[in-house]
Amino acid sequence: MKSLSLYVERDSFIHRVDPITKLFYIFAAIIVPFVMKDLTVSIVCAAVSLILLAVGKVLRNAITVFACLFLIMITIFLIQALANINNATVVFSISGIHFYAEGMINGVKIIMRMTDMVAAFLILILTTKPSDLVEDLIRAGFSPRIGYVIMSIFQIVPHMAGAIDVITDAQRARGVETKGSLPVRIKAFLPLLGPVVLNSFMNTKERAMALEVRAFDAKNKKSFLNEAVNFRHAMAYRVLFVLLAVSAVAWRAGGVLL
Amino acid sequence: MHEKKKSPFSPRFTTASLALIPAAIGINFVGKLVVSLLKLPLWMDSIGTILASMLAGPWIGAIAGAVNNVIYGFQDPISIPYALTSVAMGVTVGVMAHYGWTKSFWRVIVLALVMCVISTIVSVPINIIFWEGMTGNVWGDAAYGIILAKTHSVLLASTIDSLIIGIPDSIASVIIAWGLFKALPKNLLQLYKTNTDVEEF
Amino acid sequence: MKKVIVENLKYRYPAMKQLALDEISFEVEEGEKIGVIGRNSSGKSTLCQALVGLTPHFYKGTYGGRVIVDGLEIKHATVSEAALKVGIVFQNPFTQVTGAKLTVYEEVAFGLENMGLSRAEMIEKVDRALHLLNIYPFRNQNPFSLSGGQMQRMAIAGIIAMRPSIIVLDEPTSQLDPQGTEEVFSAMDELSAEGMTVVIVEHKMEKVAQYCDKILVMKDGKRAAFDTPAKVFSRDDLSELGVCAPVYTNICKALGKKEGAYYPVTLAGAARVLGARR
Repeated sequence: MKSLSLYVERDSFIHRVDPITKLFYIFAAIIVPFVMKDLTVSIVCAAVSLILLAVGKVLRNAITVFACLFLIMITIFLIQALANINNATVVFSISGIHFYAEGMINGVKIIMRMTDMVAAFLILILTTKPSDLVEDLIRAGFSPRIGYVIMSIFQIVPHMAGAIDVITDAQRARGVETKGSLPVRIKAFLPLLGPVVLNSFMNTKERAMALEVRAFDAKNKKSFLNEAVNFRHAMAYRVLFVLLAVSAVAWRAGGVLL
Repeated sequence: MHEKKKSPFSPRFTTASLALIPAAIGINFVGKLVVSLLKLPLWMDSIGTILASMLAGPWIGAIAGAVNNVIYGFQDPISIPYALTSVAMGVTVGVMAHYGWTKSFWRVIVLALVMCVISTIVSVPINIIFWEGMTGNVWGDAAYGIILAKTHSVLLASTIDSLIIGIPDSIASVIIAWGLFKALPKNLLQLYKTNTDVEEF
Repeated sequence: MKKVIVENLKYRYPAMKQLALDEISFEVEEGEKIGVIGRNSSGKSTLCQALVGLTPHFYKGTYGGRVIVDGLEIKHATVSEAALKVGIVFQNPFTQVTGAKLTVYEEVAFGLENMGLSRAEMIEKVDRALHLLNIYPFRNQNPFSLSGGQMQRMAIAGIIAMRPSIIVLDEPTSQLDPQGTEEVFSAMDELSAEGMTVVIVEHKMEKVAQYCDKILVMKDGKRAAFDTPAKVFSRDDLSELGVCAPVYTNICKALGKKEGAYYPVTLAGAARVLGARR
């Protein structure tokens, strides 16, 4: 069964870092380039995040995710190069369409920020078991009930997606069109979705009962079968990431004041 | 049965309503899957969130929306900031459903349009902060490019970019969610009404 | 010692006119095995849910009378508090999987985590439940990878791990194939051997007759009979109650062969009376 999680099991330094510290990294990796609005900073941040992915031995898995974003990145670059408000300096022209320096620089900046942000999230996603993340969050005070909801989605959603395959075949056998003109296809939409929805909502009632009789509503503090990921210098790294973000904001604020 | 009047925001975090959230997100996912299967030119990725909001109110709608984008974020990190948009959608539908805007077809259309406007108001600033106002949808971004070149207003270009797919998508998603809502058995709907208590004979 | 006391239990679902349970009373001794039978929507499932507190706490509605389980009055307890005294297993093995756990072992520990037990206590209880239900070899598999019968035994293990003294089973085999059914019934033999008090809703009458000490027959939310299998299945008005006797009983009825005052209800009983003919 396909899981929604993209976790890749590897033995690396990044895998041994605890999930919360990775969240601190994401925080810093987003704040710094967005606050400083500087091309070099954006490139450095993107490079650091990509290097960390490589240290975690998951760079190849990350590239498949980036491949999906490639088209969006090209679109952003082109539109910025052609239509940015600050465009003034024509660098070159192709059959009367002008490409401007300001827009192209801005386009690269956006693409670098996007790369940095996506890579930072991928560090967490590719090297952390979702259950470790959620359990650590609950230990840190996150709602255990919502933690349960998040965990269960990783398995329940692929099941529903599997059900769609079965139902598509069944509906096709009964003569419901999944090919043809647009109105025909739209008419096909409801009979496809209907059974899956009704079934899954009936299931939620039964699952809710099954949860309640397993003390899901108990008011006492929850305990955990699995032990927390123990990362030795977690605190030092967290402080470092917060300091980076704070100094970026301070630098920016200082720049505005001066 | 006495029904106590409560604000739409009185929390309804019962196990039954929480268990709704995975199903809602599953439906969002399945909706997206069916759309790509049938090659429809829309997103349809919020049907479950809308349905959960109609059933269990704005809080559950908000959580379903937020969790939805965080989980999608595990596949596509770009979607994470738009958790705010999903939360706004869930809250809007939950509050409007509470005040009876799911009672007739035309009211549901109004609900869809309000939801579309509010989600645009939330998502345009995110688009501007992160991506200079673009949405990543080819049709919308083409319009963005044209309007930006003509008017030099990022705000206007970005808003139109967002609405071009947003309006038909909202209407279609809300109508489908409403159709499903009406098809659910009555005794199931009863579970999410927390303005009732156990009565004695 | 009385493990379950039900007194004049009356219940109506929200927004419904009909009573789902109508003045039900019965008592169950420690270690007894009670079968609950009757037509569809005669109130069997609602009764099961009333024993664990889902009725009324989960469904709300209108409630009267008393249910006392192992000394705890259900009306004044939460479902979580009741769960420490009485467990319940439902029909559908799939919806009883929490979905949040990646291994059978973690899945079975779910209730114990919610109770806030220490790691050592959890491991001891989960190990024991897995061995008792004979699913220890699957402990590292994904819960969704199990067969129906294995999944249902995992659900029972998840309940048993919480150490209730009473277990309620609401048609635990109705969605299982014959092999899965056998697996669940042999698991139940293990539970009885442990001295647990069992209440089971089951459609396979041969199983009920063989396994249960007493049978509660439900009709339109009312208690229609509460007696030993032999007495219940020897009644003439079974079809009015919407109940079918075991095939062995029907054969003996057709031949007019009784064992004492009542018809036999098991294969062994039928063999005794029919064999005595020769």
